[in-house]
Amino acid sequence: MKKYLQLANLTFQDYFVYRLNFYLWRFRSFITFLTLLFFWLAIYGNQESFLGYQKSQMITYVVGVAFLRTIIFGTRSTDLAPQIRSGSLIKLLLKPIKVFKYFFTQDIVDKLLNFLFAGFEIGLVLFILNFSLYFPQNITTYFFFFVLVSLAIVLLFFISMTLSIISFWTEEIWAARFLFMVIFMEFLAGTYFPLDILPSWLTKIIYLTPSPYLIFFPMKIWLEQLSAEEILKAILICFIWLLFFWWLSFFLWKKGSRSYSAYGD
Amino acid sequence: MATKLRLVKIWWRFVLLSTQDQFLTGWAAILFIIGKVVRFCFFFIFLFVVLSATKNLAGYNREQVIFFFLVFNLIDIIVQCFFRGVYHFRYNVVKGEYDFDLGKPWPAWFRPIFGYTDPLDFITLIPLWSYFIWFVFSRHLFTGVGDLVLFLLLLGNSIILGFAFHLLACSICLLTTEIDHLIWVYRDLTSMAKFPTDIYQKFIQFFLTFTIPVVILFTVPAKALLGLLSWPWIVLAFIISGFSWWGSMKFWRHALRKYSSASS
Repeated sequence: MKKYLQLANLTFQDYFVYRLNFYLWRFRSFITFLTLLFFWLAIYGNQESFLGYQKSQMITYVVGVAFLRTIIFGTRSTDLAPQIRSGSLIKLLLKPIKVFKYFFTQDIVDKLLNFLFAGFEIGLVLFILNFSLYFPQNITTYFFFFVLVSLAIVLLFFISMTLSIISFWTEEIWAARFLFMVIFMEFLAGTYFPLDILPSWLTKIIYLTPSPYLIFFPMKIWLEQLSAEEILKAILICFIWLLFFWWLSFFLWKKGSRSYSAYGD
Repeated sequence: MATKLRLVKIWWRFVLLSTQDQFLTGWAAILFIIGKVVRFCFFFIFLFVVLSATKNLAGYNREQVIFFFLVFNLIDIIVQCFFRGVYHFRYNVVKGEYDFDLGKPWPAWFRPIFGYTDPLDFITLIPLWSYFIWFVFSRHLFTGVGDLVLFLLLLGNSIILGFAFHLLACSICLLTTEIDHLIWVYRDLTSMAKFPTDIYQKFIQFFLTFTIPVVILFTVPAKALLGLLSWPWIVLAFIISGFSWWGSMKFWRHALRKYSSASS
């Protein structure tokens, strides 16, 4: 445990060595948040309700997405793929450290830092523009929200690890990540809009994928728009996807690392 | 003239090389194309669903908002297609590869900017242009030949602006080598023009016109083709573009003078 705490400390310091990159990254997240916020404000105009969402609920959704994006989609496990290709993974394999735990520790630091910065940026916008947000009335809502977000963090980690591990067998490491993580995962997670504004036949298909359990369903829980049965179903499906990707990532890792010869630069 | 022709020939050689490179792993190229098309379709469906319900966004109807979205995609993909080399520039600087370029008989900015033309973007441009033309005529958005000529001129103006920003990013890269996210900041800022920029508050519109001129890049050409552009905006667009070109060239020369081969 001590060595992972030390790793967390080093990761934290690392962020402040390359400060400009970190600030630019935050600035990017902030722009995405602003774009979405102003888009929805323009859509609402003077209306109070649109497509089943009150204005305050939609603003809460956009703010929630900005936070959840930061803590769920922010991951350092993407670094594994170039390490496999360049051969530098060998440095990690020779250390008395578990590769999965190594990247998960880095992930946690990444998420904590980004969460703090996002809190400040978004808080500032909300303070200036003086929006009212929706807060759950029921205490159990916070509990289920926390459970699903925690599962989503771990699920995203194993999906991302799976995509990185594919680098054991291919030279091209960015294409699959671009398609599955940047396009499918983010979009179908509901990062731009609540998925239930789409036609119901389309949402039924999307609900079968792991994506909506990362952002959309946690936000639906927060907005108290799901029944107890629907919440439990969402948690169960997320958990099943988590188990699947946990198994797949470890299975691929074992196969890949066994035949790995660490050739590279 | 002969020098320019020689540069075009060199650029064409770069195009062939980058095409070979891109199709070296065929399945990856296919995944990228699928990704670009799917992203476009997702946004299109989203806009269509939302605008079908609201009918209006900042005074524009559904067809006009989709038109802005199409123009955004056209210009964005053209700029990405030509200037994709910028994404490789940091690696070349850090590894010392860029030093070899400096002795070659072409301008020092030529390879960083034009060294990698993305064939996948070009492939996606063909159906996009076709759909765009069909959309403009089928939805009766074509307002006259004069507006079309102005649109094409402003499209060229946007490419010059895109060049200026990419050169600025390369200059900063020469000075700091620590600039992975700068070009992505540009991408995120420009993505604000996916929708008509009139939806943003006045101070944001001012920022998007005079700092990173996203409004000039995307919104102005789109408004020109819709016949909604006033003469002061046309003049302003060309002035900002000319100033950006001049400023980025000046800054590039400054950065190059400070460059001291930062390779590892």
